[in-house]
Amino acid sequence: MERSMKQYETDRKEAVRLAARLILASGTTSPRVGGVGECTIHVLDDDCDIEDLCQEVERMADIKKSWQFFKRDAAMLRDADAVLISTSLRSLTDPADINCNMCGKLVCEYLKEEDKLPPDPDVAFTGCLCIFRANNIAYAIDGMVSQARNLGIDYGVYWSAGAAAMRMGILPRDTGFALAVAISITEKSPFRDVPKRYADINQRTMNDRMINRLWPQFRSIYS
Amino acid sequence: MPIIEMPDLISNGLARSVELMAVAAHNSFRFNDRNTIRMRAIDGEDLEQIAEYCFSLGDMSPLAARDGRHLVQLMKEPCSLLLIGDKRKSDFNYNCGACGYRTCAEMNAAEEVESLTANGPSCMFKNINMNMAANAAASMAHRLGLHCRIFSTLGFSALALEMIEDVDLCVCVSVSVAKKNPYFDRHEFWTKDHWDEIFDKEFPPFNRGFIGAVEE
Repeated sequence: MERSMKQYETDRKEAVRLAARLILASGTTSPRVGGVGECTIHVLDDDCDIEDLCQEVERMADIKKSWQFFKRDAAMLRDADAVLISTSLRSLTDPADINCNMCGKLVCEYLKEEDKLPPDPDVAFTGCLCIFRANNIAYAIDGMVSQARNLGIDYGVYWSAGAAAMRMGILPRDTGFALAVAISITEKSPFRDVPKRYADINQRTMNDRMINRLWPQFRSIYS
Repeated sequence: MPIIEMPDLISNGLARSVELMAVAAHNSFRFNDRNTIRMRAIDGEDLEQIAEYCFSLGDMSPLAARDGRHLVQLMKEPCSLLLIGDKRKSDFNYNCGACGYRTCAEMNAAEEVESLTANGPSCMFKNINMNMAANAAASMAHRLGLHCRIFSTLGFSALALEMIEDVDLCVCVSVSVAKKNPYFDRHEFWTKDHWDEIFDKEFPPFNRGFIGAVEE
């Protein structure tokens, strides 16, 4: 590869690292209900970390029929340059004490008495969570999305990656709910124009079939 | 060229800004591309009703009373509320468990609990979609240079007063073109009498000694 092309690749990666931090800043300063801090944002910008996350997302896809689409999410996340995961640290342990009834328990005292769902493999989030608190995640995510748009960066929002990160234990202990924003600094957004059966047929598998399999045969015949 | 006076410029600009905020909320990111939110803008006399209702909740919720009192002040200069609401039942089939039920079908079949603030149980992703729309509206307001704050108390009140219909959840984005940002550092509402009346009642531990005795 030409030197200038290698330089471009290095600079692109640097841009991802910078942009991920700026997006984190916008997500952190977005509104919080009642002005109480509760969201943390974690950046995964190492390819190996993102691959670990994708493997966990794929494992979860086999657990339930309604989670089959996680495989497609994993295929998209593999093409992401960085993944930002926003957590809600109070929704599980510390209801807002505002008796809003969004959870359907009428008052917060009843929510505190209610048993949570057991952490079974087919339960992504051990509800019932305090929905009023968890709404902060919506603000954090939209803060990040809004910054990504300002910076002209492609983004995708995934709940599969949030749930998988919770399962991997890489988020704070009190996390009750988590969502992920994946960003990509590439010429074509990997999160848009996704064909059907994307988990099976994507650039990676296509390369494997078309080039990686054909080339050794070509070489052995024509050598 | 016709001459347009400043008050007209400001009020027309505010009305146009609320429309742009509604467009931003309408086109915001949402899970599963489910655009089910409902929106309504309220200004003028209808705000008085919300303010009175909020203020009347004083005994139950000092927060609502504070926001009601604040709204009375807010109405003295051009302002507007954008209500954003949504239904509570899940149409995602994510079966994620965040609502406390294992499957969306179980949650949708559960008995509805009605209250003045919201009807539950509600789908977490419905809430997330609705609040992302609210934040997108707030983000647009910020870019347009308006003063802006998101209020759940005023949203709950509008829902209770049936100002927005056919929804179970509601949040509101309030914008203003006041000369000073009216949403933060609202110290002018705390007269000394009012402070003395409320503070000891709401925060008794603050003036209490370490072992619980009240310091005179």
